[in-house]
Amino acid sequence: MSTVLDLHSHSEASEDSRAPLEAYLNWLKLRRAERPVDGIVLTEHRQFNRDADYRALEDKFGVMVLKASEVETDYGHILVFGVTDEMTRRFDFANVRLRAQELIDEVARMGGVAIPCHPGRPNVGLCEHYATKPPLENVVAVEVLNGGSRKGEDERSEELVARYGYGAIGGSDSHLVSLIGLCATRFDADVRSMEDLVRELKNGVYEPVDFRPRRKPVPHAVAVQSK
Amino acid sequence: MRYEDVNIGDALGPSEMYLSKDQVRTYAKAMGMLAPRFTDDELARKEGLPGMITPGNMSLAILGKLVTDWIGESGARMTRLGVTYRQPVLPDHTIALNGFVTHKNDADRSVEMDIWIESDEAERLVIGTATVQFPA
Repeated sequence: MSTVLDLHSHSEASEDSRAPLEAYLNWLKLRRAERPVDGIVLTEHRQFNRDADYRALEDKFGVMVLKASEVETDYGHILVFGVTDEMTRRFDFANVRLRAQELIDEVARMGGVAIPCHPGRPNVGLCEHYATKPPLENVVAVEVLNGGSRKGEDERSEELVARYGYGAIGGSDSHLVSLIGLCATRFDADVRSMEDLVRELKNGVYEPVDFRPRRKPVPHAVAVQSK
Repeated sequence: MRYEDVNIGDALGPSEMYLSKDQVRTYAKAMGMLAPRFTDDELARKEGLPGMITPGNMSLAILGKLVTDWIGESGARMTRLGVTYRQPVLPDHTIALNGFVTHKNDADRSVEMDIWIESDEAERLVIGTATVQFPA
């Protein structure tokens, strides 16, 4: 049985999102036909809420909720899956200048996995940093599909994957309720917990999936000059 | 439209709007926003921009109008509007205005909605949320 997870989302716990978790789950329930997502991972900016318990909401809406974090490094933003107390003691997640190589290696040693997100995005993505610095080692995968990508960003991410042989994931990077689940990752295996997810990201079979509607560009209208 | 008639998932728009350079210049001048990036292509390019851009307040106002048009004569009122500017809104292009009702709060008869401006290449340029309060 395969599992589809949106691996990148922000609830109102992130300072730039106003999306309540309950509204996310209700939206996925309403839009299940067009966004068949089994679960989401909350990747709040620069923080990890160890004590949050979402079981009641999971049961109410039938959507799995896992917790991770999006941190900021000298190579751009990185999603950290499988966060432990040891990790939050070792790294100050609020620090916006974490060292990416150290983070990737240490998170792996502590049983998690760190995955660079939106690598094709200017300033906060891996591609731009690779133009001036040596490539990172021990990168398992990068986020190739990001729901907030601008024109060309996902394509740059695909080129990065082709060049370095990284695995590829997808996530909505949703900050608005209605954008949840637009991009996700399909795993061949059954994923029911963070332990399952970390195991599959390291050794499993997965691919990014795109549920964004194919919209026609708006036709260019005729200018009406104001008087 | 009454509060009871509103459903989660209801759409605002999509509606299209051609944003002319004259409209943007007129708005900028009326608001006292005289920076050349809002009025002159060549001078805007000297600042590293692709050409003159729409003032953020104008984008905010356009999204506000999307919400107030949706409210219509219902007697409801917009009590909050917040946006994030992701990319410049370039005049001399057609933009699309979109939104969805995402949450209803029966306790205070308020409705939450997502709203955004999309470019003619379907990129989300400005995204935000609004709250609308319906009368008892």
